[in-house]
Amino acid sequence: MKRRSLAGLALAALAALPVTVMAADAPTPLRVITHSSFDMPKELLAKFEADAGVKLTLIKGGDAGEMLNKLILSKEAPIADVVFGIDNAMLPRARKAGVLAPLPASLLALPLSAQVKAVDPQATAATDWLPIDYGFVTLNIDKAWFAANKVALPTQLSQLAEPTYAKLLVVQNPATSSPGLAFLSATVQSQGAGVWAWWKALRANGVKVSSSWSDAYYKDFTRNGGTRPMVVSYLTSPAAEVFYSDKPLTESPTANLNLNGGVYAQVEGIALVEGGPANTATTQAAVAFMRFMRSAEAQTALQTTMWMWPVSNATPLAAVMTHAGTAPTVKAVDADVLARDSREWIRQFNQIVVR
Amino acid sequence: MDTSIQPNRGALIPWRPLLLGLGPALLIGGLAVLPTLQLMWFGATATATTGEAVGGFWLGWWQVWADDYLSARITWSLVQASITTGLAAMLGIPVAWVIARWDFVGRGLLLQTLMLPFVVPTLVAAMGVLAWWGPQGLLGQWLAWDATESPWLLIAGNLFFNLCLVIRAGVAGFASQSAAQFDVARTLGATPWRVFWRLELPHAAPAIWGALSLVFLYCLGGFGLALLLGGQQYATAEVVIYTLVAHELELVLASQLALWMLLFTGLVVGLYAWLQMRAATPRTADIRHRKTLTARQWMPVLGVAWVWLVCISIGLAPLAAIFVKAMIASAATWEQVATAETADALFNTLRFSGAALGVAVVLGVCHALVGRRFWWWRVWGLLPLMISPVMIAFGLLLLVPQWLDAWPLLVAAYALLALPLVIQPVAQALDALPNAWADAARSLGATPWRVWWRVTLPLVRPAVRRGAAFALATMLGEFAVTLFLSRPEWTTLTTLIYQHLGRAGRTQLESAWVLSAGLLALTLFLFWLLEEPDRKDTHA
Repeated sequence: MKRRSLAGLALAALAALPVTVMAADAPTPLRVITHSSFDMPKELLAKFEADAGVKLTLIKGGDAGEMLNKLILSKEAPIADVVFGIDNAMLPRARKAGVLAPLPASLLALPLSAQVKAVDPQATAATDWLPIDYGFVTLNIDKAWFAANKVALPTQLSQLAEPTYAKLLVVQNPATSSPGLAFLSATVQSQGAGVWAWWKALRANGVKVSSSWSDAYYKDFTRNGGTRPMVVSYLTSPAAEVFYSDKPLTESPTANLNLNGGVYAQVEGIALVEGGPANTATTQAAVAFMRFMRSAEAQTALQTTMWMWPVSNATPLAAVMTHAGTAPTVKAVDADVLARDSREWIRQFNQIVVR
Repeated sequence: MDTSIQPNRGALIPWRPLLLGLGPALLIGGLAVLPTLQLMWFGATATATTGEAVGGFWLGWWQVWADDYLSARITWSLVQASITTGLAAMLGIPVAWVIARWDFVGRGLLLQTLMLPFVVPTLVAAMGVLAWWGPQGLLGQWLAWDATESPWLLIAGNLFFNLCLVIRAGVAGFASQSAAQFDVARTLGATPWRVFWRLELPHAAPAIWGALSLVFLYCLGGFGLALLLGGQQYATAEVVIYTLVAHELELVLASQLALWMLLFTGLVVGLYAWLQMRAATPRTADIRHRKTLTARQWMPVLGVAWVWLVCISIGLAPLAAIFVKAMIASAATWEQVATAETADALFNTLRFSGAALGVAVVLGVCHALVGRRFWWWRVWGLLPLMISPVMIAFGLLLLVPQWLDAWPLLVAAYALLALPLVIQPVAQALDALPNAWADAARSLGATPWRVWWRVTLPLVRPAVRRGAAFALATMLGEFAVTLFLSRPEWTTLTTLIYQHLGRAGRTQLESAWVLSAGLLALTLFLFWLLEEPDRKDTHA
């Protein structure tokens, strides 16, 4: 009996200690589901775990669309506490399925750059989703090919259907690729109902459709041995080409071709999974992780691991990012329209362009 | 007891079939059938929870056929699978015959390298094929037409992956031919051609049927390569099911399509199982030995030259391209690859494949033992290849969400997808065992277990090894396992390769080449370890 009361005393003493010390003794487990492209330096994540007293379990759930569907299916018994990688376009679906929980006001008050707000004013004002990074899907060109073949770069989308650019472009199938769907959405947004006539003309002009970004970039792009000097890719890809070059480069071998109506803006965010955290300690750990993803270290690191732009206005751009040029002023596609119509667009695309 | 001394098909089975069948039945039932049914049931009843209204499950079964796009996908899937299977038989059977009958330099290595395509990630394999036949490829640049935009490249790709199945099974089938039977036929005046058609081919038929059914199923379920090489217009039904489930959560339509495909594959597989059992002929102890090739025998020399030509042009050239690309990779790439991350991935690859291989071999042999008696049980054994992996992966989310980020489930998934590759050769080897041998041992007083250890197992061991080698190859290549949930600390060599190919930059591409070459070398080494004891065995 005496021993037990002693233990009780000790417990009371422990309870009086600051929470962080408690946490250091027994890290709070936190499950974070991410898309397959999630990539943060190990040391940085370890540092977060030590500082916050959290034990992270990262779960990769396939590409972003696949991951969201996995969350929707497992709604009754959530497989994660936090989800990273739902983008502004997927928000309406995520909300409709009820997989997102509201965020504490302290997170929503974190500073956000004006550029991100301009990209998608509606999504960036969300109370159940916290923007972490943003980026653009656009055309990349192989500079060497255009120089060697003395072909002038197209200046508008309609030119891509002209004979000069026959068989020069590769896009991804929107049914299996997110940049593919992004590019298609951008063209639908800018051209409206007339877009299908344009896609039909592109098909006649020999546009190639690949299944994924990797497939298009590493198999069809002339830079890597293919036949197409224009590829649907990311705005940061020319910077990545410099960063991951086999010999030191002063200039990127590829460049962005930001055509009006052919650039898609995307904001990726992090959110609490409805019904995910089992207790308040887990919720606190989740909030700490979200805050960490907006910290200066994380916002700096993600630029050269996930090749996205930071959303925090306090974070400077990595030097290599200058090769990506400046962020174009593009508004995000209306997410509600996208949620309603994307399935039909994909169907149309496959019937008109692929068949 | 089924293990009585009476001559019956069960004399070789050391245990009650029910108990033996329990393990494989649990794996296939629990990890393939149940999740799929759960997903279909969810789609049929609980669509409201997804927040998306979907049409009725029990209605519109013909809508799949009324829809031009869907019906074209189903038809094309069946057509390309049939063409590939036919070509694989036409190319593979003569090659297998030559390899089974003649000893030549590099024979053992050839048999092992042939299986390597199974291991290579599809995108890397496609790049390997394009390094030769692509528009900037070594041979392709001289072609007048662009081979990348024709269905022929797709079929060449399918053969690249699947020809080895037919060749390996055919070699095993032809090699166990009775020497006495052959001598008698020849003495009675049968021409070699007639002996081949009336004696040798029928004898090897069960093994070849088994392999062809696998080729058919792999082509139907074929996901990556078809799209990579043939282009989007050659998408198969499997790709449509994937899109419907993973991206659109249109479970009703996906279920209907999946059930239609199951109907077709079920018919084909049922037919094959019946044929295989009917065609089974007991082997004899006096098997034909291989002849050593000498330069003066111009016919066989020509035959071996043909074997090398087929194997090199279809299977080995793209692999050679991978090695060459890896060799000329820049110093920056090697620096990027030589990290703890790669070492971890290597360790994970060995850990997961090793565990899964153990499970697949034990359960596969159990399954084949039971399948010796019931043909329908054989069909059940092929189910893991007949059900779409994406439906399994998503069904498991509903069934056991709490286990999804635990590694035993991942190992079980690897084992499940490799199981048919173990079952096939073992079932066929068991079919060929005459009951008389086991009966003799039993009548001499051996217990059923002793018969198993001293008679049956030693006789089927080469088949077990062959099945294990193929199983290992699929595990290293991770067919479809990427659909399941994963953890960064579980990164394997294959996932690492895909991560590199997910970023832009020359060293990323070169890293993929280097890691692929490493994966191939590792696989070759493991094959050697697995099969070396049987190298001298005539029925390998």
